Amino acid sequence: MTAITTPRRNGSRRRAAWDEEPSPFAKFTKAAFLTAYAAAVIIPIWTIIVTSLSTEDALTDAGGNMVFLPTDLSLQAYKVVLGGGEFTSSLLYTAQITAIGTAVSMVITIGAAYGLSRPGTLFHRPLLMLILLTFLFQPGIVPSFLVVKNLGLLNTFWALILPMSFNAFNLIVLRAFFMNSVPRELIDAARIDGAGEFRTLFRIVLPMSKAILAVIALFYAVFYWNIYFQAVLLTPSLDEQPIQVLLQRAILTTTGLPGQDAAMADLRAAGQEVAPDTSIKMAVVICTILPIVIMYPFIQKHFSKAVITGAVKG
Amino acid sequence: MANTTSPRVASPAPAGAGVRRVYRKRKFSHRFRQDWPLLAMTLPAVVQLSLFFYYPSLYNVIAFMDYSPFRSVWDNPIVGFTWFQMLFADDQFWLALGNTLKFATAQLLFVFPLSITLALLMHGMVSSRLRYTFQSIVYLPYFFSWVLVVVIFTQVLGPNGLFSQWALSLGADRLDITRSADSFLFLAWMQWTWKDAGWGMIIFLAALASINPNLYEAAAVDGASRARRLWHITLPGIRPVIVLLVILQLGQILSVGFEQYLVQRTQVGWSSTEVLDTFVYFKTFGPGALSESYGTAAGLFKGVIGLILILVANNVAHRLGEQGIYRKS
Repeated sequence: MTAITTPRRNGSRRRAAWDEEPSPFAKFTKAAFLTAYAAAVIIPIWTIIVTSLSTEDALTDAGGNMVFLPTDLSLQAYKVVLGGGEFTSSLLYTAQITAIGTAVSMVITIGAAYGLSRPGTLFHRPLLMLILLTFLFQPGIVPSFLVVKNLGLLNTFWALILPMSFNAFNLIVLRAFFMNSVPRELIDAARIDGAGEFRTLFRIVLPMSKAILAVIALFYAVFYWNIYFQAVLLTPSLDEQPIQVLLQRAILTTTGLPGQDAAMADLRAAGQEVAPDTSIKMAVVICTILPIVIMYPFIQKHFSKAVITGAVKG
Repeated sequence: MANTTSPRVASPAPAGAGVRRVYRKRKFSHRFRQDWPLLAMTLPAVVQLSLFFYYPSLYNVIAFMDYSPFRSVWDNPIVGFTWFQMLFADDQFWLALGNTLKFATAQLLFVFPLSITLALLMHGMVSSRLRYTFQSIVYLPYFFSWVLVVVIFTQVLGPNGLFSQWALSLGADRLDITRSADSFLFLAWMQWTWKDAGWGMIIFLAALASINPNLYEAAAVDGASRARRLWHITLPGIRPVIVLLVILQLGQILSVGFEQYLVQRTQVGWSSTEVLDTFVYFKTFGPGALSESYGTAAGLFKGVIGLILILVANNVAHRLGEQGIYRKS
């Protein structure tokens, strides 16, 4: 269970003495393959960033739609997107879903993971079975929809949070961590000192699990940030829609940009040039990516640990 | 499940097992008094699952009824397997099933091995800084929504996208790949690869890191070439992980991802993007929808086949001597 970030060969980064140097051809092929793959990931994101920052002139020079080499840069598109109007409120709404949803999910997951982390306690096995069965069967879209409807949640904010708020895989990962990486002696010591289960959880177990909690919170947050179909199905009549729904409407259908008129009028009144439509759309794309990109470097180094714990113990 | 060795032994507890191991002899009321905080902590998850997993699962009974939203569930007349008979006579259903199996097979054959290849190449990289940078880049798209991925593909490969612009400036035609029904499988393959192949290698990297390096050294000293070391040490070393992932994939074979096809339906056309999930969705909520019972029947078919597949695959894994996803306990 060594994490991949630990250097493999005796901590040294040099090639082991017995390991022959690969042939130049093999080396070149490998490097070319990996570079091509990384480039295929980066180039689309790059061109979207550049386009979102380009002016009308730069767009025309580049051939009309997408810009690859930055020439004439401006932040106008972001002023339109973030200057009030439908996109701004949708971004805030999605942030709200993400924050509340992640909080709800973390409470449920941490509770169940700790509650089920000690084999032999009352109802341990039946409860665990109850949760693990979710891996084997899916209830289906229509019954899930009808249940949400019966519960009176249709077209409410909570329809986007409650039905998907618990993920058994995350529970298994966290539970495995509590069972294997939090020393039993510490928990027993806390008990002898008179701490109850809640106090033990908050004072001892959670502070020791910060890294894995961060990874799981990221998984949940990304899930909520990316909510699309749930909103199409369960909250079609709400005024506010998640950013993914707006993104789909604005770019993949021909309805065009939704109401950014106020922000555009403000810019015109201030005597500034309004950004071209394409730049505005790309600015929305970047605003959708950005929160993920910002969170991600802090948590990336713990990924492998989380995924492996889950895979091995599940 | 695999690692929950039951400590409820009636015999004297093994050394170092702690006080908790003598539970069996205690009365229920004792155990409850001691364990109620743990039960209370598990309660939210139980409530959530009861409402949004078990309740909808039971609601599948309407697949055997003539459901109407204006009656209470048990007042609906029972119609037996009528909806399933209709389903099996529906050409669109077979098309959806065929596409689903096609996409799932393509993912298994053309995305999964790519992840393994990437992991092997990455593992061979000597510079750890380079490894880290590469990982940071290729994991990122995994966290993008399907809407975002399709938008990005449209902007790059679409008829007004970056590559079309380049093609035009070179005197060639615009690309049509994002709107062509015939080449949708290829487009979908590019999207899976772009989004998931990088992330897919994370688990193989972990498996590779857990192989004892002394094995490689011993083999090299014995004269095994690079290729032979790959064949005799590396691949057997990651075999359990490969088996595990194939089983998980087989269990998911009928849920190949939903939003990807939903979002591209208008661009590419319905017939090449129809999978079981979109079939269920449009038969229930789309124009010209039939009864909720019909969609439920299709969904239940999918759920039951998925359940059977995962149990069978796991059983086969046990017979092959692999651990699989759970052990018989």
